[in-house]
Amino acid sequence: MTKPSKIMKIFEELLESPQNELVEKAASAGRIPIGYSCSFVPEALLMADKLFPVRLRAPGVAGTEIADNYLSSFVCSYARSILEFALDERYDQIRGWVFVPSCAHMQRLFDNFEYLKHPAFNHILDVPRKVNADTLAWMAEELKNLSDKLAQAFGVDMSEASLNKAMAEWNAFAAAVRTIGEQRKRPNPPITGTEFHQMVMAALSSPKDLIMPLIKDFEQELEQRDGIQKYRARLMLVGGHLHDPEFIKVIESQGGLVVADRFCTGTIPGFRPIDLSHGDPYQTLAEYSFKKTLCPRMMEDFDRRLATIIDIVKEYQVDGVVIEIIKFCDLWGVDSMPLVTALRDKGIPVLKLEREYRLGGEGQLRTRVQAFIESMGK
Amino acid sequence: MKIDTLITKTKSRLTPATEILKVLLNESLAGYLAGRPKPRDAAVFIKYWALTWIAILKFIVGQALFKLGPLGLIRALIKNPWIFTLLRVNGLMRRLVRGRTGVFHDSICLTVHTVAVGVIDQLRNMLFDPERMVINEDLVPSDIVRAMGLNCYLLEAMGIVLPILTPEGTLKYIDEAENAGMNPDSCSLPKATVGMVIKGHMPKGVAMVSSNLPCDAGAASYAFIQRTYGIPTYRLDAPYHFHNERAEKLFAKDLMGMITWLEQHTPGHMDWDRFREICANRNAMLEMETELWDMIRTRPAPLTAETVWLSHLWHFNVTPGHPDSVRHYERLLALARRNIKNGTPATPNERYRAVLWNPPFLHFVDIFNWAERTYGVTLINDSMTYNHHGPIDTTSPETMLRDYGRTVMQGPMVRHTRGPAENYLDDIFRMVKQFDLDMVWVANHVGCKGGQAMNGILREKCRDKGIPLLILDYDLSDPRIVSHDNMVRQLEHFMDNVMKAPRLDQ
Repeated sequence: MTKPSKIMKIFEELLESPQNELVEKAASAGRIPIGYSCSFVPEALLMADKLFPVRLRAPGVAGTEIADNYLSSFVCSYARSILEFALDERYDQIRGWVFVPSCAHMQRLFDNFEYLKHPAFNHILDVPRKVNADTLAWMAEELKNLSDKLAQAFGVDMSEASLNKAMAEWNAFAAAVRTIGEQRKRPNPPITGTEFHQMVMAALSSPKDLIMPLIKDFEQELEQRDGIQKYRARLMLVGGHLHDPEFIKVIESQGGLVVADRFCTGTIPGFRPIDLSHGDPYQTLAEYSFKKTLCPRMMEDFDRRLATIIDIVKEYQVDGVVIEIIKFCDLWGVDSMPLVTALRDKGIPVLKLEREYRLGGEGQLRTRVQAFIESMGK
Repeated sequence: MKIDTLITKTKSRLTPATEILKVLLNESLAGYLAGRPKPRDAAVFIKYWALTWIAILKFIVGQALFKLGPLGLIRALIKNPWIFTLLRVNGLMRRLVRGRTGVFHDSICLTVHTVAVGVIDQLRNMLFDPERMVINEDLVPSDIVRAMGLNCYLLEAMGIVLPILTPEGTLKYIDEAENAGMNPDSCSLPKATVGMVIKGHMPKGVAMVSSNLPCDAGAASYAFIQRTYGIPTYRLDAPYHFHNERAEKLFAKDLMGMITWLEQHTPGHMDWDRFREICANRNAMLEMETELWDMIRTRPAPLTAETVWLSHLWHFNVTPGHPDSVRHYERLLALARRNIKNGTPATPNERYRAVLWNPPFLHFVDIFNWAERTYGVTLINDSMTYNHHGPIDTTSPETMLRDYGRTVMQGPMVRHTRGPAENYLDDIFRMVKQFDLDMVWVANHVGCKGGQAMNGILREKCRDKGIPLLILDYDLSDPRIVSHDNMVRQLEHFMDNVMKAPRLDQ
């Protein structure tokens, strides 16, 4: 591993706290940070006017003792970690909260959060679990309701023009990230999976306009870099929430270069552009939300999820797929059963890893990745 | 040393024999009669024991043998070996009537018998008419499918029935699913269902209807089942916010979409008159159930426990609106009225009235009976029964679909797993008031994350309201996670330490 560059160091620092210095800077300038927990919440909606989205994270969470009392220790450690941080007042800058009943865990996180913290603005976005004309219209109405509530609570401009501007800004931001991500298709990518994820997570945790110059600088820095020569296999990560780049670092320490990411906080297909040709911004965002997520909560999406993974394997010349699942996640836990079989049937090697939200058991992780790479004859 | 070994070996060889003897004594007619029941109770028990056997033999000899032929029947039994477990139904009746007498005793015999007849009906659909059979997920009621002239098979039904009959009923299926890669921490009901599908012990049908209910594991398992079966699947999507007209409209459209889809993918056609008849019968069942609830508000209650929960579990979920189910509720009402009229309680020792929240302990349904005999705890109602159904307006197809959709969304487990925490909590406290309860039991199923995550709030709210709360850890279908002894101990600790309740035998 080479020494991290100056920009990478900044990205690393931005990830150290759930509300980094860019969030504080924007908040002190009168802007309004809105915390959200799920990819079905379109970030662009939360970028209108003075608002800016902050992906809820719990970096460095040491334990979830208080949250366990409420959520129980059988609930996913991401949900528990968020509640623990909230109870520890680690999100004091966040002024509004948007949740999605994406799974039982997130739904009950919302309930417990509401009960314990009584936040002034707490919203749950009712995202359907299948896509058709009726559910798209429903989702558009849900986004409109959220938008109206935000306008009323914070006095922000949620007009069509304001939303169109936010969507255009989101597209510019996503395009910059995608440009860097595309470089991972090269036989010798100039960027590791760890670095890429550090940048993405830093971007999801910061106001986009404030982090954009850093992303642009990073893009330039990459142009000067040589491609990575030393790796044993090209891997793709698939799964739910993955916030900690250290997880990828452990995988890459064994020679598995992570070149593609299909997880909630990844870029495929999460950072695809919003199609601005529609008239109604809510309809646009509703369609976009369904297209950009590939979560097993969507009941009719298995084939699309599988096809997308297979396409990415080809496009990024992936040697093997690592499915990472947070313990107790029923959606990924159950879905991975047919997914593993289907991928293996296509001749794609698969490693399924169960993990906790915070990084732990690095030794075991190393051994399993090493064995996986060896099993591929790499 | 050699003698020790010999003794140990002899003991271990004798253990299965003593176990079998114990089961026979616990579950057989001889065992029942050996307990010297009252002659009247014995007569009723023998009547239902005989009726159930007659129904079974009629099905096997009179129908299965005739329709499938001897070889076909043998093949069906080899393919579905769990059918043999169903023969233990009278053993279940024996276990459930222990310590119970009079009308309450009769109502339990009646309930178990009707469930047995219903299960036979399911087998009939499965074995005799597979080309008209639609697979339904457990929270997708069968009414519409039946109105379309199709047969319905609830895929999760045997995952529920088998552990009730014998605690080990679904263990091999749970293991099968885990071995195939299903996460061990998921609910054991979808695990058992998936295991049965993997082993090929489930019927296939021509089409399948599933939903986003009740939990993530259940909904997600249908991606696997669909791939395994390769049959077309429709998925109903009940909104999270269902308490408004907008949600009702969306769900009614979804139901209409399901009907159109079923007409395209099965030989069935929607018969609105038939649906009207089913809805009218459902309304009648609802009215009678409401009256029954009113009667069990009386202290002491005229009927309780399995009469209430097992009746609802089967008749409202598997055969709602079926004439046999209507008749069952008519008979239950008559029995309850008789007890009210005579001032006879279901159990003479009703000291404490409890509600059970979350699904009943499938592999240990006798625990209610044990608590009743040991501490005088009567189970008045449970979350799988308690619903907010309203009558279905049968004026037009539109009103029927709207109200039927409401019925689905307001049903047990659906309304408790959707929407904000109030849907879950308020029903518990409403029940405490409505049924004059002394305690709340939470069946803390280890695989139910949605329920587990409510315990903290519930604990604090119960403390504020002064309601004793027992959170009893267990796994829905797998007694290896928490043993029966352990469950009994949890209950004893609660009754001794929290309720300070003396045992009835002291």
